Amino acid sequence: MIQVNGDGMEWQDGLTVRGVLVHRNFRFPLLIITVNGELVQPKAYDSTLVPDGAEVQVVHLMSGG
Amino acid sequence: MRQLRIDLSKCDAGRATCQHECESSCVEKVFKLTDPAMAALHIRELADGSGQAVLCDQCGDCVVVCPTEALSRNKLGVVVIDKKVCVGCYMCMGFCEKEIFERNPEWTEPYKCISCGICVKACPHAALEIVDVPEPAYRIL
Amino acid sequence: MSQFVFDPTKVMDIDFTKRTEYLEGLEAIKAAHKVLKEISFTPSLPDKGYNHRSLYVNVGTLEVKEKPVTQQMKDVFLGGRGFGLWHLWNAVKPTTRWNDPENEIIICPGPVSGITQYAGTGKSLVVTLSPQTDIPIDSNVGGYFGPLLKFSGFDALEIQGKSECDLIVFIDGQKGIIRIEEAPEEPVDSHVLAEVLTHMYAENDADRVNISVVCTGAAAEHSLIGMLNFSWWDHRRGCIRLKQAGRGGIGTVFRNKRIRAVVCRGPQVKGDLNNVADYETIAKTGIKYHKEIRENDPYQCMMRRNGTAHIVEIMDAYDLLPTHNFQYGSHPDTHKIDSAYWQSRCTQKTVDGCWYGCSMACAKGADGLVVKTGPYKGHTVTVDGPEYENAAGLGSNCGVFDPDYLLELNFYCDTYGICTITYGTLTAFVMECYQRGILNKERTGGLEMTWGNAEDDLEMMHQMARGEGFGIIAGQGVKKMKEIFIKNGWGDPKLINDIGMENKGLEYSQYMSKESLAQQGGYALTNKGPQHDEAWLIFMDMVNKQIPTFEDKAEALYYFPLFRTWFGLNGFCKLPWNDVVPSNNAQQPEAHKIPEHVQNYVDIFTATTGIKIDKDELIHQSAKVYNFQRIFNIRMGKGLRKDDHAPFRALGPVTTEEYLSRQERYDKQIAEEMKLDPTTMSLEEKMAAHRSWRQGRYEQLTDAVYKRRGWTPNGVPTLERLKELGLDAFPEVVDVVKLHL
Ligand code: SF4
Ligand code: SF4
Ligand code: SF4
Ligand code: SF4
Repeated sequence: MIQVNGDGMEWQDGLTVRGVLVHRNFRFPLLIITVNGELVQPKAYDSTLVPDGAEVQVVHLMSGG
Repeated sequence: MRQLRIDLSKCDAGRATCQHECESSCVEKVFKLTDPAMAALHIRELADGSGQAVLCDQCGDCVVVCPTEALSRNKLGVVVIDKKVCVGCYMCMGFCEKEIFERNPEWTEPYKCISCGICVKACPHAALEIVDVPEPAYRIL
Repeated sequence: MSQFVFDPTKVMDIDFTKRTEYLEGLEAIKAAHKVLKEISFTPSLPDKGYNHRSLYVNVGTLEVKEKPVTQQMKDVFLGGRGFGLWHLWNAVKPTTRWNDPENEIIICPGPVSGITQYAGTGKSLVVTLSPQTDIPIDSNVGGYFGPLLKFSGFDALEIQGKSECDLIVFIDGQKGIIRIEEAPEEPVDSHVLAEVLTHMYAENDADRVNISVVCTGAAAEHSLIGMLNFSWWDHRRGCIRLKQAGRGGIGTVFRNKRIRAVVCRGPQVKGDLNNVADYETIAKTGIKYHKEIRENDPYQCMMRRNGTAHIVEIMDAYDLLPTHNFQYGSHPDTHKIDSAYWQSRCTQKTVDGCWYGCSMACAKGADGLVVKTGPYKGHTVTVDGPEYENAAGLGSNCGVFDPDYLLELNFYCDTYGICTITYGTLTAFVMECYQRGILNKERTGGLEMTWGNAEDDLEMMHQMARGEGFGIIAGQGVKKMKEIFIKNGWGDPKLINDIGMENKGLEYSQYMSKESLAQQGGYALTNKGPQHDEAWLIFMDMVNKQIPTFEDKAEALYYFPLFRTWFGLNGFCKLPWNDVVPSNNAQQPEAHKIPEHVQNYVDIFTATTGIKIDKDELIHQSAKVYNFQRIFNIRMGKGLRKDDHAPFRALGPVTTEEYLSRQERYDKQIAEEMKLDPTTMSLEEKMAAHRSWRQGRYEQLTDAVYKRRGWTPNGVPTLERLKELGLDAFPEVVDVVKLHL
């Protein structure tokens, strides 16, 4: 189990940051992502593993409007 | 399309036998300025003693983004600026990937290399040349 | 991330120089003009952003005069919307309504407006008393008019009075002439009128870029939702383009004054006409920003390819795309009108800024549309947009997912001079009333207003333009329609009030606020009415859960409305602030505010005016005008707590269908937030529980926000707050407040 923006999400082996985004359908392009407080750069979304129990923050900036 | 090229193996960027005549001739004769750092080409000496050249290859990206059509290709395919219609927005400068669109703080209109070949003549080592190459395709930017 | 990658081979092959031309009758139209008044003036260029004079024109008495812009005006109101509100305050009485001759339309660009080096710096702010809300409305609009007015010599244009004939006000900043001309034979609709006038007033081909036309269209005469178009000459396309001062019925006031157009011919623009204090800083900041767009935009929002339409599918993915009058947040057909489609439909091989130097270039254009209905049937036209608001409002919110019809609705809104956001929301309301039997074919005079029926939707708009049938009723806007439907006994008043998406008389813009308490406040706790340009907090609140407490939300509803007000004081566009971000933004403190861009604005303001500010002073500057506008509302009889209430559709599920569509979320809230057991409750009980819980939370939010803003529980700025802001220097402002303390 991990926490994504405060909501619980099932963890599985090999879960990446990209996997979290796909699971939550977070399609917005302007994101700031931290895993346990550590910033993850966009180019590392596919390669960064999310450990079990992690706190993931996916901050969406504002846009449009 | 006339394009300025350099053969870095002939260039003496480290100033042992040349004083960067390319830059000074460009800045003085073409743009009537004095500071060689303001030339429309830059030759830089790297830490290992080798040279690096920043040249305009007349790619035309700046033409694509110019809102006023102040930039266009002339008969020789060279990208030139019409200062009368330029509004000094500097989008050309920001969109030039080589960052070789230049600006003098005293002027509102920027300026760029016109492939005139003055630097070619000034270079004591014949490192520069003007070549004729096909125009690249229009890029959507 | 999963953003569509631009593929030039997918762009439709449409000739962007081809369209129907309207110049045939130009000579005859011109010959019919009669000069009613002509005066000369000395053109000037601004000094550090200001000319220190504004132009006053009374179209009733034909009085034309110059007025000084005082140091006090600059200190307190800065420019743009601030000047507009100040002029309007002095022009009207508490009893003045939109159609009284003393009502004014003020167009004011702001001190920064007109610089050419940074993105989004050519805006004008338009202020008037709104026919929809009876309080001031303000609109931030692109196009060249504001900068050209300033470079002719005026910081603002104030138009008062009412004419008895149709007329044009012409400001020639090259020759120094102001002329009021009777214009009896002008075409009415904007895409024709702006083209004809641009050619009429330009002295040669090269002069067209120096002309900007402000005008509206046929529907502004028969509705309360008229909008103003601001034009510029698109040299590459060889046509005029239009940007809209949309909200609140400014176009209706314009036509009520019988103005056909205001035309400005400015000097040829150069980079230094604003005579700024520190050109070098502006140049460097601009080049840095252009570079950021080049490097980041293709991987972020792709504003240069999609404009604001890039968020259509994003809103759908987050269940936030208003669908069927804000009932639902997504639709299976959204892919037909998503950014991938608009990217292929809009012309990509050209430059689309609404002012020079806009590297964000969101003013996309869809060329080569062959119109299928109405007076321009068969014509080939260029449609500006569609922007996100249009795709959502005219599209998903009304169930229209046919992109050609959507473009046609967009085209007619623009040329008829009505606000696309307002039209979208009011049509969605009409369609839901139709669905629920509040309206039927008989009551609409034959229009079948079912979801997605674009043909009848367009027919309703044509009726609005002709001043006929149900189109006249619809053109009154949601608030008046609600009153009419209730008076006629056509349906349950409670339901009608719940689903009519307006506050203060203005229709909601196109975001779903139901599941974001902060955004509910972002819409209804605003000065002019529910427009997202004050605060867009849905992601921060609902998705990121960054602002969990009432105090956090109140802080956001303090900061963002003030931050965003500042754009309108200076003539900035809001988009370049946050539709691209620097590569290292994530590492910055308060990254959600985009600190580097905030600093750019601080630097540009200081470099323009020579007045040194920092990011806190920026907020303070806005707070003066923001609170002044609140007090202006109070003076006009609104602006108190009762006027900040929201329709329930904006707060939660009104109907059983809506509840069931998000049952899991709603049941969970009953259990976790309300501590009740949903399994023992009927659907009606659950809905009632949500209503009282949600309304209670909205009231708590209101309390917290008023407190943070320095207002009483009734929403009135306190005397201490006035003093902090220096507004106590105006006795008449203090008097309004004192009546309510
Ligand atoms: S190009 Fe020629 S003139 Fe210029 S630095 Fe090299 S050697 Fe010197
Ligand atoms: S100045 Fe830059 S963008 Fe323009 S042609 Fe030269 S290299 Fe290309
Ligand atoms: S600075 Fe002049 S040449 Fe460069 S893009 Fe702007 S208008 Fe065109
Ligand atoms: S070709 Fe002419 S303009 Fe270009 S760098 Fe050489 S001297 Fe300067």
